[in-house]
Amino acid sequence: MLRHRLEITLDADPFWLSPLRATVTDLAIRVDLDVDAVADLTLAVDEACALLIREARPDDRLAARFDITTDRVAITVSLAGRRRPGRTVATTSFAWRVLRTLADDVRLTVEDDDAPVTIELAKSRIRPGAY
Amino acid sequence: MPTDPARTDRTAPLFAELATTGNGTRRAELRETLLREYLDVAHNIARRYARRGEPLADLEQVATIGLLQALDRFDPERGTDFLSFAVPTITGEVRRHFRDHGWATRVPRRLKELHLALAAAMGELSQRLGRAPTARELAAHLSLSLDEVAEGLAAAQGYRSRSLDGMTDDEHSAAPESLGALGQLDPDLEQLEDREALSQLLAELPPRERTIIVLRFFGNQSQTQIATALGISQMHVSRLLSRTLATLRDKLDAAG
Repeated sequence: MLRHRLEITLDADPFWLSPLRATVTDLAIRVDLDVDAVADLTLAVDEACALLIREARPDDRLAARFDITTDRVAITVSLAGRRRPGRTVATTSFAWRVLRTLADDVRLTVEDDDAPVTIELAKSRIRPGAY
Repeated sequence: MPTDPARTDRTAPLFAELATTGNGTRRAELRETLLREYLDVAHNIARRYARRGEPLADLEQVATIGLLQALDRFDPERGTDFLSFAVPTITGEVRRHFRDHGWATRVPRRLKELHLALAAAMGELSQRLGRAPTARELAAHLSLSLDEVAEGLAAAQGYRSRSLDGMTDDEHSAAPESLGALGQLDPDLEQLEDREALSQLLAELPPRERTIIVLRFFGNQSQTQIATALGISQMHVSRLLSRTLATLRDKLDAAG
């Protein structure tokens, strides 16, 4: 099973979303996602990171990990620091619907206020093994 | 902007009246009179932006729309004078026009040609394959390298590529109002906790942007399907979608 991993760590600041988007787009193109999936994945990562940045405190960092296998691209974005008190990612929000539409699988992991908040996204590849 | 004390004296009672006059003939008269009083201000601002590739007549029209917005939003009770409120409003409207029409950021010819070739190839391959093509399929179809296609696709995703908008539009594209009416998404919208703010924001969107959001997130159509329905390229749908999502996100954030 083909397996590649790319990891990026960035400041939890909207300023860094643009280079991250460019990276996701290029990565998705190169692992042979179709152009719809490329656009979806770019939007999904952008949206997931924006959700986490909203929870972040100054100096927090985001980690984005891309796992590429023959049949899918799985992305995990997590906010390592403690969240701002009282903030939660609402899975009944429009933003969450956007994520669920854009990705084939979406999962949110929030344990407690001290643990990282993680959003996992996956996009299936249309022609497994083509890449 | 030169101040005109006589004009300020003339218009002060009109503004006071406008602020307390609801929709009707009198309001229309007051707006008309005030519009004539300040039209030269709007035109002066438009002239400052002339010779940047947009016809002066268009700029004057946009500036006039800005002036009307300023007339409607101005609150004389706040104690500021109309001009210091109107000038930034009008200037903002003219700047937005440049931004949306994108002529301020011109795209190199080579990239434009690549963009047109990609849009045509995407249309053809989507139809043949029954799904959106991959970059490799596009490269093979166009006899280009994967790097060239990746560059073209990346440029199309770019937030600064508004000058690409419209290049690939079908002249007879479907009237967006007829698609994705707000009514049909009610049951889906019901489940969202931020539905009230969202409906309000959706209603404020330009019809095409609203249609794209509705079809993608409440109709589960792909960007390629939406592109076909609207008679624009997938890349254009993609740009409009990222821009609109970013706007909705900011505004929902501000509302929540």
